[in-house]
Amino acid sequence: MNAHQSVSIVMIEDDEGHARLIEKNIRRAGILNDIKHFLDGTTALDYLFNAADGPMLNGPALVLLDLNLPDMSGTDILAKIKGSDGPVKRTPVVVLTTTDDSREIQRCYDLGANVYITKPVNYESFAQAIRQLGLFLSVIQVPDIEE
Amino acid sequence: MAGDKGQGFAVGEGRIGRVLIAFMAVGFLALIAAGIAAAWVTGELAQHNNAVSHTYEVEVGIADVRRLVEQGETTRRGYLLSPDTPGFLEAYAQAAGALPRSTKRLRQLTFDNPRQQANIARLDGLLRELIAGRARTMDLVAQGERRAAIDEFQQQLSSAQMREIRDTFDRMSREERKLLNTRDAQQQRSLNLFYTVLIVAGVLLVAVALASLLVVVRYTTDLAQSQEQLQQLNESLELIVVDRTADLSRANDEIQRFAYIVSHDLRSPLVNVMGFTAELESATAALREMVDRVEQDAPEALAEEARLAAREDLPEAIGFIRTSTQKMDRLINAILALSRQGRRVLAPEPLDLVRLIGSIRDSMAHRLDETGASVAVDGALPAIVSDRVAVEQILSNLIENAVKYRHPERAVEVQVSGGTIGDRVWVAVADNGRGIDPRDHERVFDLFRRSGAQDQPGEGIGLAHVRALAYRLGGTITLRSALGEGATFRLSLPSTLSLQEKS
Repeated sequence: MNAHQSVSIVMIEDDEGHARLIEKNIRRAGILNDIKHFLDGTTALDYLFNAADGPMLNGPALVLLDLNLPDMSGTDILAKIKGSDGPVKRTPVVVLTTTDDSREIQRCYDLGANVYITKPVNYESFAQAIRQLGLFLSVIQVPDIEE
Repeated sequence: MAGDKGQGFAVGEGRIGRVLIAFMAVGFLALIAAGIAAAWVTGELAQHNNAVSHTYEVEVGIADVRRLVEQGETTRRGYLLSPDTPGFLEAYAQAAGALPRSTKRLRQLTFDNPRQQANIARLDGLLRELIAGRARTMDLVAQGERRAAIDEFQQQLSSAQMREIRDTFDRMSREERKLLNTRDAQQQRSLNLFYTVLIVAGVLLVAVALASLLVVVRYTTDLAQSQEQLQQLNESLELIVVDRTADLSRANDEIQRFAYIVSHDLRSPLVNVMGFTAELESATAALREMVDRVEQDAPEALAEEARLAAREDLPEAIGFIRTSTQKMDRLINAILALSRQGRRVLAPEPLDLVRLIGSIRDSMAHRLDETGASVAVDGALPAIVSDRVAVEQILSNLIENAVKYRHPERAVEVQVSGGTIGDRVWVAVADNGRGIDPRDHERVFDLFRRSGAQDQPGEGIGLAHVRALAYRLGGTITLRSALGEGATFRLSLPSTLSLQEKS
C-alpha cells in the first residue's frame, strides 16, 4: 500500500467473529494499516462520507465489504460508493462475503466492485485467503485524495 | 355439483330411451292396425264386387227368361193370327226350346237364396202351365182348328196367368235389388270403419311423431345446456388449477429461498466456529510446548490436570469440533447445491441419451477400469426433449451409485434401457450391486438418509438430488430392489419438457 501508510482500511462486517478473524489474518500478512470496523451499513456510510477522518474528507481508504448486513444490503452500499462524486468513488472496494452465487458476483462487478472474494468456509482456506488478500493489499496502489 | 350433474345425465338418457321406444311401438302398432284394416277392407270390396256382379248376372238371367217368355208369347200370337207366315213357328220353337236352359241357369245363379228359389219354383209351375197352354193352342192350329185355338188363347188371356208370371219376374228383380242395396249399405259401413281406423292411426302417428320430436328437442336442449355448464365448469377448473399452480410455485419459490438463506446464513457462524477452532488449535500447540518445557525443566510445577488438558483433552475436543463442523459444512453445502439447482433455469433441448450415457461413462472411465465395472446401453433409448444438465446429473448419479454400491463378490454390470409410453419416456438403470432393503426404498430418496452398510463415503444427498431433479423435470423416479440382488431405478419423464413454471 501507499508508502506513507495513511491508507485506512474500512471493514464493513456484521459478524464480529469474522471481523476478528479477518483482522488477525491481515495482521499476520504484515499489514499494519489502521482498520476501522463497522457492524452495519448506516454508520459505515456515515463514516465514509461525513467523518472528519473518513475517505471523503481525509486521505485514501480501502473498503472491505460484506454483502449480508442487518440494515441494508452490501450491494446498496457498493452502489452508493461507486455512484457518488468525489474521492469516495475512487476508493477500492473488496467484496468479501459468503455468497458464491454467480448472479450476485456479476452484479457486484457491474456496480463497480474492484475485487470479489468468497469467504471459504474451511478455516484454513479462509485464513490463507485473507493472508493473500493482505499481501495483495500491500502492493496495490490507492488513488490519492488530492488527485 | 358435478355429481348431481352426472346423475341427471344418466337418468335423462335412460328415460329418453324408454320414452322414444314406447312412442315408436305405439307408432308401429298404429301402422299395423292401419295395414290390417286396409287388407280387410280390400277383401270386403272384392267380395262386394263379386256380389254386385252376381246380382247383375241374376238380373240378366231374369231378363233373359222374361224375354224368352215374352218372345214365345209374341210368336205364338203371330202364329195364331197368321199360321201360314213362315218364321213364327220357328221363332216360337226357338224361344220355347231356349227357355228351360235359361230357367235352369237362373236357378243355379240363385241357389244360395231361398227366397229367390221359392220364386223360381213358383215361376217354374207357372211356366209349365203356360207352356202347356201354349202347346195346346199351337197343336190346335196345327190340326187346322184355328177357331178353337183362338178361343183357347182368349181364355188363357183372360186368366191372370201371364200377369202373375210378370209379377214374379218383377218380384225377383226387386228381391235382387234389395239384396244389392243391403250389400251396398254393408260395404259403406265397412268403408266407414276403414276410414275411421285410418284416421285414428294417422292421428296417432302424427301425435307420436310430434311427441317424439318434442322429447328429442327437449333432450337436445338439455344436452346443450349441460354441455355448456360442463364447459364452464372446465374453465373454472382450469382457473382453479392455474391458481393452485401459482400457489404451489410460490410456495416452492419460498422453500427454495428459505433453503438458500438458511444454508447461506448457517455458513457464517460456521466460519467463526472453524476459525476460532483453528485459533484454539494453534493456542493449544503453544500451550503444549510450554507444558513440554515445564515438564522437562520443573516437573514438580506441572499439575497432572494441566498436562492432560494440554496433551489430551484439548486436542480431543478440538478434533470433535473440527469433524462435526466439517460434516455440517458438507451438509450445508449439499442443501445449498440443491437449492441452487432448484433455482437454475431449465433449458429444454433434444437429447441423445445414448451419447449422454457414453459421455458419463467416459468421465468415469478411470473408476470403471479400476473395478472392472461395465456400463451398457440395452437397445435404443427414446428421443427426449429436456434439460441436458438435469438429465445428465440424474443419470450420472444413478450410474455412480450403481458402481459405488457394488456387490463385494461380483464385478459391476450396469444396464441402461428405455422406452416410450404415450407422451412419456422411461429410462431404467439396472445394476447387479448389493441392492437396497425394501424397507428403505422410500428413505433413500430423502435428504441425508442412506441405507445398508455405511462403508462408502457420502452424505445421503445423491438420490435426494435425483428425485428433486426428476420432479423438477415433471417426472418421477421409482426403485425396485431386494437386498443382494441389485437395484433398478426407473426414471419417467415427459418426452417433451414444457416450461410452465417461471424461471
